[in-house]
Formats: sequence, C-alpha cells, structure tokens
Amino acid sequence: MTATSLSSDPLVAAYDELLPVLTVDGLPGFEELRAAAIRRYRESGIPTTRDEEFKYTPLHALTETKYRFGYGANLTREDVSGLLLGDVDAITVVFVNGQFAPDLSSTDSLPNGAYIGSFSEATEFEDDIKAHLGSIAHFDGRLGSTNDLRFVDLNTAYLGDGTLVFLEKNVAVERTIHIVHVVSASEVAALSFPRILIVLGENAEAKVIESYVTFAGNGVTIPVTEVRLAASARLEHNRLQNESLASTHIANIFVDQATTSVYTSNNINFGASVSRCDINAYVGGEHCETWLNSANVAAGSQIIDNHTRIDHAQPNCQSFEVYKSILKDNGVGVFNGKIFVYEDAQKTDAKQTNQAILLSPTATMNTKPQLEIFADDVKCTHGATIGQLREDALFYLRARGIPLAEAQGLLVYAFAAEVLEKITIDEVRGKLEAALFEKLAS
Amino acid sequence: MLTITDLSARVEEKEILKGINLTINPGEVHAIMGPNGSGKSTLASVLAGRSDYEVTGGSVELFEQDLLELEPDERAAEGLFLAFQYPVEIPGVTNTYFLRSAINAIRKYHGQEDMPPKEFMALVKEKAALMELDPAMLSRSVNEGFSGGEKKRNEIFQMAMLDPKFCVLDETDSGLDIDALKIVANGVNALRGGDRGILVITHYQRLLDYIVPDFVHVLMDGRIVKSGGKELALELEEKGYDFIKEEVAARA
Repeated sequence: MTATSLSSDPLVAAYDELLPVLTVDGLPGFEELRAAAIRRYRESGIPTTRDEEFKYTPLHALTETKYRFGYGANLTREDVSGLLLGDVDAITVVFVNGQFAPDLSSTDSLPNGAYIGSFSEATEFEDDIKAHLGSIAHFDGRLGSTNDLRFVDLNTAYLGDGTLVFLEKNVAVERTIHIVHVVSASEVAALSFPRILIVLGENAEAKVIESYVTFAGNGVTIPVTEVRLAASARLEHNRLQNESLASTHIANIFVDQATTSVYTSNNINFGASVSRCDINAYVGGEHCETWLNSANVAAGSQIIDNHTRIDHAQPNCQSFEVYKSILKDNGVGVFNGKIFVYEDAQKTDAKQTNQAILLSPTATMNTKPQLEIFADDVKCTHGATIGQLREDALFYLRARGIPLAEAQGLLVYAFAAEVLEKITIDEVRGKLEAALFEKLAS
Repeated sequence: MLTITDLSARVEEKEILKGINLTINPGEVHAIMGPNGSGKSTLASVLAGRSDYEVTGGSVELFEQDLLELEPDERAAEGLFLAFQYPVEIPGVTNTYFLRSAINAIRKYHGQEDMPPKEFMALVKEKAALMELDPAMLSRSVNEGFSGGEKKRNEIFQMAMLDPKFCVLDETDSGLDIDALKIVANGVNALRGGDRGILVITHYQRLLDYIVPDFVHVLMDGRIVKSGGKELALELEEKGYDFIKEEVAARA
C-alpha cells in the first residue's frame, strides 16, 4: 500500500491528535503497547478482498462512509433497558460509544475476590491488567497460517478504557455478568474500540454476556476480547451482536486455556451490515473442553463472517464446534474454521460442524474448514452442509396440520434455536429466542 | 367415512399400489396386514399426502371430500391423523410448542380462535398421563433423543391431543417391547368409540391382541387379497402369509 493511501485511512487519520486523549481515559503504562500496535497496523492498513482472510467480506464502508468517535453521548437507564438484553438481571458494565458509563452500570455487591468493572476504576488491579492485556491476543509461536491481526492492532493502538472481569482462585460468580456496548449516534456513525479482559483464576467460574446493540444511528465497532482461563476454570461466554443494519462490526476474541479448563462460546450475530467475528482459542493445557456454538442470521444484504481457530497444543483435549447460518434475501454467510493439532497433542478429539440454510436463490454461503493435524493419534472430523429444509421434518409438521409456510418458519427457527439452547441463562435465552423469531419473520 | 376406490400409486417408476378398494364406516377399526413390500406403508403415506408418492389412479374420499386434492396439512385439519412408523426428530422445537402450533393451526383452519393456554396445558396434562409420558419430555425437542418406545408413545399422545376423526397407525408396534406396546394400545383403545375410524397397519398379529379390530384385510403385491373378521389375523399368525399366497394363486 502506498504512503498516500495510508494517510487517507480514516481509521487512523487523526490518530496522533487523539493519542493524548486516549492516555487520559484509561490506565497509564500502555504507551509502548499502543506504539507497537499502531506501527504494525500502519504497515498493512485496511484489509481488502485480495487478503485471503477477508476474501468474501468487503470493507468499503470503512473508507467510503463517515464515522467519528462519539464521546459524550448521554443515555438513561430506561434507554438501555429498552434494548435487546438491556434489562437482563445481571452485574452490568455499560459502555456508550466506547466510553464507560458508570451511571448506567451496576457492579456493586460483588463477591470477595472478584472485580467486574472498567479499567479506569480498577486501580487496585493495574498490575493484573498489565500482566494479561495484550498477552493473549497474538499468534506468536503458533503453527500454520494465522488469522488476521490488523483490527486487533488497531484496537490496541486506540487502547483507552475497557472492561475487566477478574476472578481469583476458587471464586464462582453466580449472577450473570453483562458487558454492554451501546452505539448512540446521529447521522455520522460512531467509531469505537471496545476492549474486554476476562481472567479467571484456578477453579473460578462465571457466565458472561458480551452484547453489542444500537440505541440510535450506526456504529463502526471494532472490539477485542481477551480471555484467560487458569486450571479448571469454567467460562460460559455468550456474545450477541445486534447492531443497526448499516453498522460495521469487526470483533476479535482470543482465549487462552490452561489444564482442565472449560470454555463455552455462544456467539449470536443478527445485526450490522458487515459483521465479522474471529474467535481464536489456544488450548495450552491437557483435558480441556472448548465449545464454540454460533447462530447467525443475514437478511437484506448483510454479510456475516465468522472465522475460528482452535490450537490444540496439548494432548487429551476436546473441542466441539457448531456454526449455523440462516441466509435470506441477498444475505451472505462466511465461515472459516481452522483447527490445528500440534505434534504433542495426541488423543485430541475435535469436531467441527458448519451448517447453513439458504432461504432465497440469491443468498450465498462460503464455507471453508481448514484442519491441520500434526499428531497421529487423534479424532478430528469436520462437516459442512448448505441446504434447504429437511423434507421429512416438513412433512411431519404438515401431517399434524401446520401449513407449509408456518412449518418452514418453524424449522428455520428451530435450526438456529438449537444453538440458543446452549445458553444456560434462561432469561437471556428466552429473549434471544424471541429476537430470532422476530428477525426471521421480518 | 373413508372410501378408497381402485387406488393405485407409485414411487419413482415402481408401481406399488395396484387398485385398492376399502370402505371404513364411522366407529370401525380395520387392520391391514401384509408381508414386507406389500404396499402397507405406501398406503399410509398416500393417505397422509407424502409427496414422494404419485397417485396414478383411483380416488380416496374422507367424509365425501376428495382427500387426494388436499395438502397434507389440510388433510390433518379435516381430521386425518397418521401415526408415523418412523417419527421424525425436530431439534430446536419443543414438544409443547409443536403441539400448540398444530392445535392452533387446525383451529384456525376451522375459523376458530387459538386454544386458551390454560385449557391447552390442562389437556396436555391429561393426555400425557394417559400415555404415561414423563412431563419433562414435553419441554424437550420433538422426538430428539427419545427411545423407540418413547417416540411411538409420543405419536399416540399427539393423536390424543389432536382428537382426529380418522387415524392411520403405520406399524406402530414396530420396535416396541411388550410394556410399551401395552401403553400404546391402551392409548389407542381410549380413543376408540364414537364415530372415530381407525386403520391399523401392521406386519404382526401381536398388536391386534391389544387393539382388537372389527375387520382384517390382507394386502399383497399392492392389492387387498382377502378380508375377514378378527379371526383372520389369528389364522395368519398361525399359518403365515403363504397360505394366502396359495389361495390367490389358486384363484388366478
């Protein structure tokens, strides 16, 4: 890329002017991390469809539309509770346009040994944040071709405030932890770089929802979430992306698992014009479980792109991955699932499934499983199906009196609802089921 | 109530039903028996309207309506119920949701309002008890992970819930142990009586010990070759299908 086009990259055009503001907003001591990240980002810039990892996902919106930081937006609790999942009973951390909103958050009455809140208020945990932040979101020393890090670098370059979930050894938080990112913009879209760090100590346990929703206007949201699970820690990591339909959302999640930890991701994407989510799980201990579940609905001209990467670096671990997409109208789905089984990772049991239902002749699904196995005693399977609804199930429903259109609707719903069933927080699952129903009916 | 006249049907290029004639009056229970490949399940599928089967001749009337003109869901709404030989698993749809959708779809067809939730739940409770179904099964996905016996009980439970006018039981006894068979038969017998017609399709006589038919028909090579009372089933059990084959050969 030439120097001229670099300077015109609107994502970093005003970076040098903004830098002093960023340092005020978050914790001190991240200067080097930011500087290295912006340097790496500037070497490559915005990916194009010529980049393998963005082949089906054009990012024109980042160069052709207007957006800016939207600090200072004022929302009330009522505004937030009216949004999807906005009223879930939970320990809640709210960010509006990337800015922490203490008045909208509810983080009191935490158990001992737990911190859930913003970086800016986590002064006691400064060292912990420094120890982990940025140390999970990388591919150093990993096998094979990697997923793209440009938006991770960009997010780190803009590192300011963020959310920390920190549980000490043996701490189990029973209440749901909800991290909400709301976009509230006018005619110009709001740019934000949400950052989340989740660190669970040995044998700690939590259920988190990370949600991205829109109050008004559109967003350009580029989040990075880092998750570190110590031995025997268990995390249910639910994620909802339901931003307005002209938004751009590019998320990266990195997970680092120690021995016997269990990580479950339930990744739900209904919103945005371009929705991209990469999940990279590094399984660095034995006897771990990694569950990646995902339900996606693309309607209109939405593009919903999911990339996953699981690194099985140690023996005796299991991973189960089920990614489902429903594509209507001109909707486009993309799935790229990488699984690496390292030479030492004998007895790995990895199962990957990608299924899509196309509801119109102009909907598209691009799917690419990518398994690279360097151990010899492993069980790795993958399957991708792209199709219409099951005839036998349709007939069964009709034979009970349910008319064709309704039967089709029910089966499409059920296809995705099967993923929602993995969410163990009843209130959240119920609301997402209703949202799915509505999204399919529209 | 059900009149089948000279019905023939094929799957792809293969002629399976070759002229079936059968009349079932209100309140009667008929059994159709026959060896494998005789066309028993094809008949059930054609009645319910499965699209893999092409009707090549004849007619079927249910309550003086041309059944073959109706869509599968319209047939169900008109009161036809097929208990499937292989009930289908539908992950993601709970039994309760499925049944409520079915009941309300049929009510809508008849221009009625949805069933009030309270009434629905009371009905579910009553019929689940009849079929000795664990209430926990109702909130599970339709047939998903059910044992063979549970699936068949679930079929008859649905039948009890939908209160059809005419029932076709397609090999409902297959894959059942004796306890499950009794529960299923009890459920069916509880639905006997009044004007409801029942057509039991089975390979073995065993089921007919519990659901005693008024009439028995033997289906062979796509035709009903012999009809009689319930004693015909016992005769078949004793002598096998060969004696009928010989009779048919002698007639020809």
